[in-house]
Amino acid sequence: MAAKTDYWDILTGPLIRQNPVTLQILGICSALAVTTSLATALTMSVALTIVLTLAAGIVSVIRRHIPDTIRLIVQIVIVASLVIVIDQVLQAYFAEISRALSVYVGLITTNCLVLGRTEAYARHHRPLPAMVDAFGNGFGYSVILILLGGIREFFGNGALFGVPVLPLADEGGWFTPLSLMLLAPSAFFLLGLLVWALRSLRPEQVEAPEHTPPARAEPAE
Amino acid sequence: MRGMWDRETVAALLIAAHLPIAIFWAWFGDAQGAIRLLTAFLVIAIWHLVFMLIRAQPPSLAAITTALAIAILAPEDLGALRLALGVSFGVVMGELVFGGWGRNVVHPASVALSFLGFGFPAFAWPVFDDPVAWAAIAAGTIGIALGVMPPALILGAAIVAAGGAAAGLLATADLYAAGLVLILLVADPVTSPGTTLGRWLGGGLFAALVILFANGWTGAAPVQAGIAAALLTSLAAPLLDEAAIALWVAKRRRRHGRT
Repeated sequence: MAAKTDYWDILTGPLIRQNPVTLQILGICSALAVTTSLATALTMSVALTIVLTLAAGIVSVIRRHIPDTIRLIVQIVIVASLVIVIDQVLQAYFAEISRALSVYVGLITTNCLVLGRTEAYARHHRPLPAMVDAFGNGFGYSVILILLGGIREFFGNGALFGVPVLPLADEGGWFTPLSLMLLAPSAFFLLGLLVWALRSLRPEQVEAPEHTPPARAEPAE
Repeated sequence: MRGMWDRETVAALLIAAHLPIAIFWAWFGDAQGAIRLLTAFLVIAIWHLVFMLIRAQPPSLAAITTALAIAILAPEDLGALRLALGVSFGVVMGELVFGGWGRNVVHPASVALSFLGFGFPAFAWPVFDDPVAWAAIAAGTIGIALGVMPPALILGAAIVAAGGAAAGLLATADLYAAGLVLILLVADPVTSPGTTLGRWLGGGLFAALVILFANGWTGAAPVQAGIAAALLTSLAAPLLDEAAIALWVAKRRRRHGRT
């Protein structure tokens, strides 16, 4: 019997200390694309967390039966099946949000975060720890997505969940929306600032420098 | 570092070169311009101070040139808060995070102005009086004479722009805006290419982009097109330098049979 598993550590590790987005820089494509409003960010977070948790569970259950040579194909088939189910559910019950998310729900299949967790963790652990780890990672991803979505919608539209919060200048208020926030580059800036802030607070996350600057030499006369 | 040529000498000479534009702009402008200049300079100075205290980066006189460029080229009637936001973004993300003036990849004023342009598209861009625009020639001449502005870059831009104007592709307003942007943003010694060939290409690229934007970008003010061209040119500068050096290496290998 292996040592006792610390589920709390597995669950909370990916929130900040091992956050998949800000530390491992995984799942960036969707994190940038769907965070223009809080509603889409939240839907995407929930969809990804469900897919990731279930996929990790299924992969973990059959982990001793997956042939090593075709393991990626098996994992992708499992993830893709789940994604199709989620996509159909969204189209059936949340048609508007589903349209706003366009291809990005489908692209959960190729999200490196999902494949990374099933490949690196679920394949080597029992179902329960695997699912706890997957849920923790999904939650860590969700935290970043909801934070970005909230900031972008708040400053880009003066609203949260589509409900106006700040009085807009067009309607007699004082707040001029920052249109840049609704464009893709702002997600890069915000994510960069977030990573910077996190690594300033937790210097152990800073990567080792790849290059050492040359010693400063006096210029030859 | 030996002799008198250190970073702050270059910054001071750059300020001296910009003086003709500054004087004519202040003479023909109104009090709004002076307020913009002071606001921009104050915000930049605060950020330089913050980075000096936290990261021990020495502040630079180049803050004045950045503030001047922003004050001259920024959209009008933004209000202090929006201007401060744009300036903060440009100076921090464009310059200070890279280690201060001299290590930046893009001109902080270009970043700040692009941010203001994309963030607040409703505000009108400035138009310039004839003397202000013509002062750019004086400023460029002084800059070249003092050795702080690359002559190849300015000449390269001038040749392509002259071709464009002769072909009827550039209006007077475009030329004025492009000239001021060329001197204030593109001819900056840090973010322009460093090789002679790269400078010729960089100047040409800037003017070509201005011609492209002036004709193909509907709804863009001349200044806005100029700033976008300046930003893209500074991003292309490392590529142009790389190409120039690769060419030099290839030529040398052909001539001597080895590197």
